[in-house]
Amino acid sequence: MDQFRRIQAGKTGDIHMVLFKDKKILDDTVLDEIKSEIMTLIGKASGPDMLLDFGNVEFMSSAMLGLLGTLHRKIAAGHGRLKMCNIRPEIFQVFKLTNLDKLFSIHKDAPTALATFT
Amino acid sequence: MAGVDVVIAEDSRIQAKILQKRLTDAGHAVRWAENGSDALVLVRERRPDIVISDIEMPVMTGYEFCKAVKSDPGLKTIPFIMMSTLSDPIDIIRGLDAGADNYVTKPYDPDYLLGRMQSLLDSPVGDTTEAAMLEVALAGQKFRVHAGRQQVLNLLVSTFENAVAKNQELIATNQDLSVTRDRLQQSNAELTNLNEEISRRNAQMVRDLEAAAKVQRSLLPAADVTLASAEVAWRYVPCHSLAGDFLNFFPLDDQHAGLFVVDVSGHGVPSSLMAVTVGRFLTPKVSEQSLLVRQGADGGLVIASPAEVATQLNRLFQADEFSGLYFTMLYGVLHLPSGRLDYVSSGHPALLRAAAAGGVEFHGIDGFPIGFVPDVEYEQRSLQLSPGDRIYLYSDGVTEAMDKDREPLGDQALADFIAGSRGQPLEQSVAGLLETVEQWCQPNGPLDDVSILGLEWRQAE
Repeated sequence: MDQFRRIQAGKTGDIHMVLFKDKKILDDTVLDEIKSEIMTLIGKASGPDMLLDFGNVEFMSSAMLGLLGTLHRKIAAGHGRLKMCNIRPEIFQVFKLTNLDKLFSIHKDAPTALATFT
Repeated sequence: MAGVDVVIAEDSRIQAKILQKRLTDAGHAVRWAENGSDALVLVRERRPDIVISDIEMPVMTGYEFCKAVKSDPGLKTIPFIMMSTLSDPIDIIRGLDAGADNYVTKPYDPDYLLGRMQSLLDSPVGDTTEAAMLEVALAGQKFRVHAGRQQVLNLLVSTFENAVAKNQELIATNQDLSVTRDRLQQSNAELTNLNEEISRRNAQMVRDLEAAAKVQRSLLPAADVTLASAEVAWRYVPCHSLAGDFLNFFPLDDQHAGLFVVDVSGHGVPSSLMAVTVGRFLTPKVSEQSLLVRQGADGGLVIASPAEVATQLNRLFQADEFSGLYFTMLYGVLHLPSGRLDYVSSGHPALLRAAAAGGVEFHGIDGFPIGFVPDVEYEQRSLQLSPGDRIYLYSDGVTEAMDKDREPLGDQALADFIAGSRGQPLEQSVAGLLETVEQWCQPNGPLDDVSILGLEWRQAE
């Protein structure tokens, strides 16, 4: 069942898999919806491991980084791990500009990322 | 009313079904034919207690059917009800001439029809042997009608009753209409009030935004600020009325100048509120809040190192879960006599140097945006300027400016433009860079705030 509008949520073992549905994460409305959907998802879990899949995302505003930062801290506080994958070069540029590629755990694709959780 | 035997003539199958159901429900036995001719057969087969007939029917109309019944001595006393739309007064004359006893107008009220049947059955139709030729004038025409007195009376009374019933319906409809109209007028008035309220609030909001924009402009360089041995030029274009970007330069003491570009994530009200808050800490005036300068133990002025400023800001502005706002900053302190620039970057685009001797190069430092990672120590670097060297600080609204195909302007285009403008005065170079960004973004214009701060250092005489 598809319970969210902006994200597709699933689980591999104990790891929450979140796939962004949008091609463009640019305007504040989309961002706010993504935020509240992810918060709803983690609200139910304690110290979750999470993998964010950017496979669909072609354009992303730097405001999205704020959300990822919040998420990063929240998950770390519960001793969980946040990882990201399938980030295309244009999007990776947004991370690189702000040095956040060094803060976040970023992987080529989902299998590679999942392997690093063990 | 005890169940009676009814014959109906109606060419519309649906109308007939409805009528039949009504009559059957009321306990009557019903026989139906779809035209006058077939109905006449039914009437002759077995004499019914009452006949109800439509007028417009194929093969044999209601008038012809009625005439046939009324001219048959054995059948003429059967009460005959005509169902008519009564759209034409001539219908009455025709009904009279045909010998009909009663009119019920379509669309009919079932209870009214049943009531009509009842009264006809209660007062049986007399033998209208006294039928005579009557002359009637209607709508300027004379008609000769063959009718009995009782029949004329019945028919006219029923027509009158119909007219009264229709009139009452009309009055009721009129009253409904007038109630609806009153409601509509009320709703309209409410809508007008709401519209006025929206206009008022909108005007208030515009005033608030203008006030906020004014507060935000106070974060920008004062018009009369000059530096002893440096020339500064800047451009600042918010993409909405309120921005997340701001920039400034100012003397810190007689030997040092501070300069920065700050870019708060997002735009609009939340980002600009954050910008104003951050701005209060980046003031060159000694105060409780200033992170840039403070009073030393000996009473002298202490200038905080850029790294110290970034580290302090990061401690103060950890992004909360609610806003998720963070900011990037490039802050430099220039020692005016020597041309040494100490600077720090918190996830901000690299500064660009255009050397007097030619050539441009980027100078970036790795550092997370302010608010991302708690308790991080920021690293600072130094850059030694030569006389005539220029440095450019800018927000990512410059390099990330997107054209209509969402292709960013990029570092190379920036470096190329700055190198090309080396021969022009600094003011012209900065203005030209903004123009380049705006051209790139045609036809939509920049989607992000654009900030550019250029500085050319001259050795003091």
